Amino acid sequence: MNSTTGYLTTTVDAVVNWARSNSLMPMPMGLACCAIEMMAFGGPKYDVGRFGSEAMRFSPRQADLMIIAGWCSYKMSHAIRRVWDQMADPKWCIAMGACASSGGMHRCYGVVQGVDNFMPVDVYIPGCPPRPEAVIHALMDIQEKIRNEYSVTQDYTSGQKEIVELSARPGSLTVEGRKVALDASSLADA
Amino acid sequence: MSVATPYHDREAIFSFWPRHNETLLKRLESKDAWLSTRRGIEVSRVEDALEHEMTLNIGPQHPATHGVLRCVVKLDGERIEKCVLDIGYLHRGIEKLAESKTYQEFMPYTDRMDYLSPYANNVAWCMAVEKLANIEVPDRAQWIRMIMCELARISSHLLWLGVGLMDAGAVSVFLWTFQGREDLYSIFDEVSGARFTVSHSRIGGLATDLSPTAIAMIRDFATRYEEIIKGWQKLLNRNRIWIDRNRDIGVISKEEAIELGLTGPNLRGSGVPYDIRIFEPYLKYNEVDFTIPIREEGDCLARYHIRVEEMLESIRIINQCLDRLPEGPIRTDDAKKAYPSKDEVYYSMEGMIHDFMYTETGVAPPKGAASYHAIESPKGELGFYLESDGTGCPWRARLNAPSFTNLQGLESMMEGHPVADIVVLIGSIDPVMGEADR
Amino acid sequence: MPETLKFHFTPVDEARAEEKNVHEKASTNVADTVEVLQGQFPGAIAKVSVYAGEYTAFVKRESLLQVCTALKETLGFTYLVDLAGVDRFCEDAPRYEVYYAIVNLDTGKRLRLKVLVDEEDAVVPSLTGLFKAADWNERECYDMLGIRFEGHPDLRRMYMPEDFAYHPQRKEFPLLGIPGSLPLPPRVPEGELTMDPFAAARSGSPAKSYQEPKGEDA
Repeated sequence: MNSTTGYLTTTVDAVVNWARSNSLMPMPMGLACCAIEMMAFGGPKYDVGRFGSEAMRFSPRQADLMIIAGWCSYKMSHAIRRVWDQMADPKWCIAMGACASSGGMHRCYGVVQGVDNFMPVDVYIPGCPPRPEAVIHALMDIQEKIRNEYSVTQDYTSGQKEIVELSARPGSLTVEGRKVALDASSLADA
Repeated sequence: MSVATPYHDREAIFSFWPRHNETLLKRLESKDAWLSTRRGIEVSRVEDALEHEMTLNIGPQHPATHGVLRCVVKLDGERIEKCVLDIGYLHRGIEKLAESKTYQEFMPYTDRMDYLSPYANNVAWCMAVEKLANIEVPDRAQWIRMIMCELARISSHLLWLGVGLMDAGAVSVFLWTFQGREDLYSIFDEVSGARFTVSHSRIGGLATDLSPTAIAMIRDFATRYEEIIKGWQKLLNRNRIWIDRNRDIGVISKEEAIELGLTGPNLRGSGVPYDIRIFEPYLKYNEVDFTIPIREEGDCLARYHIRVEEMLESIRIINQCLDRLPEGPIRTDDAKKAYPSKDEVYYSMEGMIHDFMYTETGVAPPKGAASYHAIESPKGELGFYLESDGTGCPWRARLNAPSFTNLQGLESMMEGHPVADIVVLIGSIDPVMGEADR
Repeated sequence: MPETLKFHFTPVDEARAEEKNVHEKASTNVADTVEVLQGQFPGAIAKVSVYAGEYTAFVKRESLLQVCTALKETLGFTYLVDLAGVDRFCEDAPRYEVYYAIVNLDTGKRLRLKVLVDEEDAVVPSLTGLFKAADWNERECYDMLGIRFEGHPDLRRMYMPEDFAYHPQRKEFPLLGIPGSLPLPPRVPEGELTMDPFAAARSGSPAKSYQEPKGEDA
């Protein structure tokens, strides 16, 4: 009998990743000029709703993608780090623009030379400021990254959790019993 | 001078600027409410059995603070008793940066000061340097600068309107005004190649002339948006919610506005006719016909009316400029004072040397020269005070930022209002933190 | 300028007051006001310099308050536009100067005052009593240059956090700052790093890189 109710097989990972990647809720950390381009990215012409990310959430608890738009001063860095820590896992981060990525043109005492000095960044966008197309591209890169993650099987097995521990000797790291070399000296020893 | 090094201690647990917060709170406690000292109004206390005093921190990361403004307010029930603003979360030392750049090299930094209207900042910087070094600008460049400055004013006010209404709860207006900004971006894109950080003005003139397409686009924008802005006026001028949110909020009298040093639409909203375009006309503002809107009420509604009317006046100015745009060069023909044209650079040795020297050293005003030049940016009086030591870099470049002075007034304005009005008040002051934080 | 610095292209000529500037504005011509001030406070104004049609009156520090009071109350200069410090960084004269831009809204005039300040005794009387607008500008000047304003009600730093110990606008302060003077948040959170997103629900607490403020009931 020809059935209209077919079925398809998939993995839980794939389903979860599909859902996550198409409903990223950005936390717009709008600091400076890039924030205006970020508004354009959410605005009528570039309409990021096409990618499922139109719901900007200003509360860190409801967001899972932080877009750092603009230069980050030392004074502000503490607030950014704090908001980042308040976001629930899993979370991703886009450093938008040259200033957030590397300090950019603001090479001076007040500005952190790249937000990756104090927090993890997944995608860097060049440009000063980047055009909204570039931000959409970065968003698609994040989606691509999410689709390739082992979201359930690896990260969230709290019982048999993945063991990441520093062994007694600095410079070597053990992951699941395998020894991972960190630098040249530990390679030589192994 | 002792250096504070608690952080070098690895054991210490990180916390958010401990000494800074301590002084901030101390200030909040010790401060006299401006309302009671200046106006003699005692803030009435809500007497109830429950505790009603509260210190609330808003920002630096809060959507309604239009950037990274931080307000620490002391509440009595829902009313703000006193307020301390903390800025500097975008501070990068732009004045210090200017001291190590040539005059032309500093131009991109001005784009990123008031990033809602970069062209006005470019022009402010160029005119300050031109005054310092005594450089004449051809007529056509001045008219084009005027057109672009007014477009920048419209684009800034469009964002203010959209975001201000979004703060008050009307999200759809943001989409409409942002469509307007997108139209302006395409004009800037056509003129300079960048969407909004244009860096198009040059010392002694402009980088490129307007293309016929650009002129057609500007004309089209001016004709279409006159109707659209009037449509928004129809929507908002008699809108009950908008009026109730804005009327009698943040009232500042004429004397108080002068005393607090407000500038721009905030000052004119209190009835002071201070507009640099009239006060000391620059470019060709004395040759075009326009009025500066003034209101007497001094509340948020007055400031709203002024900004929307200013947009219409800007369109009037743009139309006149387009009609009167003269032919001629767009940059002064003195290679010691402005970049030579690209034709000269590519086809003559002299031109190439001048281009190189201008990039390397640039214009060098005489030693000991000091001058101040201000323009009316969308936020108010945007001035640069420059001092020269005879080299190609400014010895001291002082930025008089309108947002900075306006924010100072906001600190006093907030007192006595409910918390919910903070959002409307910040919106009506229209600060840009990139400029206020220098 | 030190001998070691050589600028090839730059003609180092002195600014001349009599040179006609094409951008000169009528509003900055305040010769009459300066004359009135000189008559009213003999000796208070050390020097008057003119460039590009702009008058700068160098006021002695002791008589700054008197001059400003007279300007505000009798001469109508009620609107303080700008106030900032300049680091002159030269050997021959006082190191700092503070400049004031005051506008007369009725007659449409703009006046600039300057006060020279010694490095050892970098104190200037505060104008906050006269112009409330001077408040933040003086704080900014203090933050950037370390000039103290006597009588200012709230002389905190304007931009930099209080935990910062330097004054960055001074010429000797390096543009790139002093390493370690402004701490960054730690790269990794404090405490043991777990991959468990529900740590708080089970037993321990999730790793944080900051200290949560203690609540009233804690």
